[in-house]
Parts: sequence; C-alpha cells; structure tokens
Amino acid sequence: MLTLRDVDVSIQASEILRRVSLEVGEREVVCLVGRNGAGKTTTLRAIMGYLRLRAGTIEFLGRNLAGLPTHQIANLGIGYAPEGSAIFPDLTVGENVEISTWTRPGGRPAPERVDLAYATFPVLRTYARRKGTQMSGGERKMLSIARALALDPRMLLLDEPFEGLSPAIIPAVSRGIATITEAGHAILMAESNIHHVPEIATRLYVIERGEIIFAGRPADVRRDPAVLRIIGG
Amino acid sequence: MAGPAVAQTSPRAGARAFAPGAWVLALAVLAVLVAPLVVSPYYLTKMLPFFAYGVVLLGLNLLVGYTGLLSFGHALFLGVGAYTVSVATTRLEIRSFEVILLLAALTAAIVAAPIGALCVRYVKIYFGMLTLAFGMLFYSFLIKFYAVTGGDQGLRVAQHSLLGLFEARSGERVRFLTGQFYYYAAAVLAILALVMWRIVRSPFGLCLRSIRDNPEKAEYLGVSVRRHRWYAFMLSAVYAGIGGALLGPVTGQVDPTLVYWTHSGNLVFMVLLGGFTSFFGPLLGAFVFIFLQDQIMSVVPYWRLVFGAILAAIVIFAPTGLMGLLSQRPTLPRWAVLRQAPGPEHAN
Repeated sequence: MLTLRDVDVSIQASEILRRVSLEVGEREVVCLVGRNGAGKTTTLRAIMGYLRLRAGTIEFLGRNLAGLPTHQIANLGIGYAPEGSAIFPDLTVGENVEISTWTRPGGRPAPERVDLAYATFPVLRTYARRKGTQMSGGERKMLSIARALALDPRMLLLDEPFEGLSPAIIPAVSRGIATITEAGHAILMAESNIHHVPEIATRLYVIERGEIIFAGRPADVRRDPAVLRIIGG
Repeated sequence: MAGPAVAQTSPRAGARAFAPGAWVLALAVLAVLVAPLVVSPYYLTKMLPFFAYGVVLLGLNLLVGYTGLLSFGHALFLGVGAYTVSVATTRLEIRSFEVILLLAALTAAIVAAPIGALCVRYVKIYFGMLTLAFGMLFYSFLIKFYAVTGGDQGLRVAQHSLLGLFEARSGERVRFLTGQFYYYAAAVLAILALVMWRIVRSPFGLCLRSIRDNPEKAEYLGVSVRRHRWYAFMLSAVYAGIGGALLGPVTGQVDPTLVYWTHSGNLVFMVLLGGFTSFFGPLLGAFVFIFLQDQIMSVVPYWRLVFGAILAAIVIFAPTGLMGLLSQRPTLPRWAVLRQAPGPEHAN
C-alpha cells in the first residue's frame, strides 16, 4: 500500500533520514519506533510531501508521491494526525471533524464519515459544540485522530498518539485505534516507547539516527538486546 | 447606527450571545433607515463613505480576520472600482449604476487574479510588502499615464442612474446623494454583508479559518492553502472594487490619492479600530473612523496625530478593537492568544 524505498531527507544540509525503506500493507498496523530526534516525525512529514526527498521514492497505492503538494497527498487517502495539539483552536470540535469531509469530497457520504469518527471516540460527540481550546490534551489527541479519520482515508499516519497522555485516557485512545483497524484502515504509527506499541501492531521498524536498524515482528524485537537498549523506554 | 455587537468568530458558539447582537443589528438598520428623516444632510453625506468603506472592509476582513493575511495595498482595488465608475460614465457612456457595479467587480477581479496569484505565495510581512508594492505601482500608473487617467488631476464621475429610475438632476446633487443614493448604497452594503456572512460560515470559510489557525495542518487535511488564499484575495478585491465604485459618485471625482498607501493604511486602521476578530467589527471601525476624523478635523488639523495615538492605544490595550471592548470579553479570543504561543507558526 505504502512503500518507502531508500529515502534520504536533509534539512538545511544536515542529513536527517538515510536510506529509509519501509512498507505498510493493507489493514496492517505498523509501528515506527525510535527515540526523540531519531527521524520518526521527519519520516511522516516526508510521506505527506512536506519535506523534499534528496533521494529515494515514496509510493502510495502504486502512485509516486514525489513532487505532489501536501493537500493532494491527503486527498489520495492518507490521513495524518500530527504530534501535539494539532487541532484548530478557533473552530468547534464539530467543525474540526467536519472540515475534512468537505476538503475531500467523494467516497463515503459525509454523515457516515463523521459518524465513524465519533464512533471511534464517542466522548467527542458530547463536546461537538465546544471550541478546540476547551479540550484536554488527551481529547485533543482523539480529535486530531478523529479528524484525520473523517477524511475517509485508506491509511492513517499517527504521530505518537500516546505521547503525554494520562494513563487514564490511554485505553480510550487504544480502543479507538483498534476500532480504526477493524474498519479496514491501515495505520503507520510513530512511537518513542516500545511499551506503548499496541498489541495489534503487525510489524515494527526501529529507527535510530535516521536509519532503520530493525524490521520485523514485535515479538522479535523484544529478544534483541542491542535494539532494546535503544528503545527500552 | 454603530453596528451590532456580534463578536463571534464561530456561528455555533454564537447561539448564546446572538440575541443581544441581533437587537443591536436591528437597531442599527433602523437607524440607517430613518436617518434621512431626522439627520442633517451634512451627516448624511458622511454616511455615504461609511457604506462604501463598509463594503471594502467586509472584503478586507475576509483576508485579514478570516484568512490571516494583512494587505497594505488594498486601496488599489478600491481605486480600480472608483476609476471604473469614472471611465464607464465619462468614456463608455454607461449610465446604469448596476452595470457599473458589475463592471467594477469584474475589473477588480481581473486585476486581482495575477496580483493575488503572486502575493499569496508569501505570508506575513512579505505578503504585506508585496501588496504595498503593487498598490504603489498602480499609484504611479495613475499619475504617469495622464492621457488615460488624468494624472494627478484624476477624472470626474458623470451622470448615472440607479435602477434605471433615479438620476441626479442638475443642481440637485446633494438631494440625490442623501436621498435615493443613500438608500441605494445602504442596500448594496446590506446585501453584500449578507453574502459575506454566508461565505464566512460556509465550508469555504471554515477552510479559511483553518488556514489562519495553522496552514500546515490545513494542508494535511487536504485544503489547498494557496488556492484558498487566492480565492479569498480575489473575493476581497471584488468587495473593494464595489466599495470603490460606491465612493465615486460621492466625491464626484476620482484621483490617485485613492490608491496611495496611506489610504490602504486607513483601511487597515479601520479594521483594527473596529476589531478584526468580529464580523461586524470593521463596519463599526469605518463608522467611528469617518465621524471621528470629521470631528477632530473641525477642531485641529492634525487628525493623523490623534489617530496615531488611538491606533497605538488599540494595539496595546484592545487588540480586539472596539467590538472586543463592547462585547466585554475578559480576555483575547482564544485563537489570538494561541497565535502568540510558539505552536502554530509554520509558514507555508
């Protein structure tokens, strides 16, 4: 579905990603694990076309993404929930969710998409009329994922969905992510802590200093002491 | 007459505060309607620029308040509209003011299309400087191409008719302006305000606000930031063109000072004075600006000095403008506060 081959990215002459290759198949949940600054967010931003590749290719559904503007990549069906409180504070929660049904028309009807987004995180429906600023960190995270979901994407990119959340809210977010995969979406998730990698993860890549140093099943990584030392949390 | 105090940036959150705002709006409309019966012609002629500037500022605020782009050259499009009236009435023998308004809107859109396409590639100060540059370019054009534009003398605005029914007969210009033209201009403002109200609450308006909040994240959701900014630019230019066209008959004469950068500065001032975070704020700003300027000028000639002090006070003490003060919100609207935080400052 999504394939990165030997992707190099430089930001202001310093190499951030070196020959990064990874793959996400249909209905897969793939985790990109690495420490802060390892290049996880850079990888996701490169997929979204926000950073220019110095070398390598990125393909989505057989289509080369090189040179496409970000909004077109989103419209091809990649929903991106960035790190941090990525919501639009001046819009209400409802507007935050609905906006993507308008920017990417077609596919499933808008009400169905909004319903799916709310079904994934039911608590959001009760806040629909509130402004984005009145939400807690965890709720913002859910909103950010729900909004990406309302785009009706084939695939979701989640940047550290559990970062900074209180333990009380983590189960709700993980349940939401499980719901998303049940609905048939593929997920590529960046995570800094190996212990946050959800059970449903099918495969795992470990990134360190811009290079992929491990690719395999989650069970295998736990047996690799060298890798565990880096991402042991 | 001061315009209503609906200081909402979101339609839904407005449900609570809507009722008093609607009352103020209704009172303002009523005041505008009955003013010709009770107010002296002098003040009525001051209301005409208010209607014209009101239209211009509705458009400018789509750019400043809703899209987050500050234009310092918006008088350019106002000038395009005003000169269109003059050229249409004196050279093209067009009398119908409705046709003239359409022509002004169209000309403004045609001029704005390439300028906007270039300007929206830049944001913040670069956008402002580029619009300023285009405004001054047009000013030079008006000054230098004497044969076409009349140079610094400008052009006069000739006879025109409203709805094919009303014309100014000779010697009755003031009666025409404070009578039929007054209501005509008020109606144009009302209609265009209604249209703009719908625009900012449409999904298109939602996209513009998301762009203002955070252009990078708007792109992630499939919003073409550049294209939306361009549409907003064109729309605001069309409003400025129509507003400029309404200004033409009031002065009876158009000249290059209309597009000089200080005039663009006045437009920005009015927006800030009234409050760019509110839909009706710029209208209040125009109203206060026009009548305050009139009052101050009758006392001292240094109105710019006084206005400079007012501007400084507004920026420091009331960044949401008069509308922000009137609606008695304790703090800045939330998005304005967030903008100052380092978060959503990714330039596209």
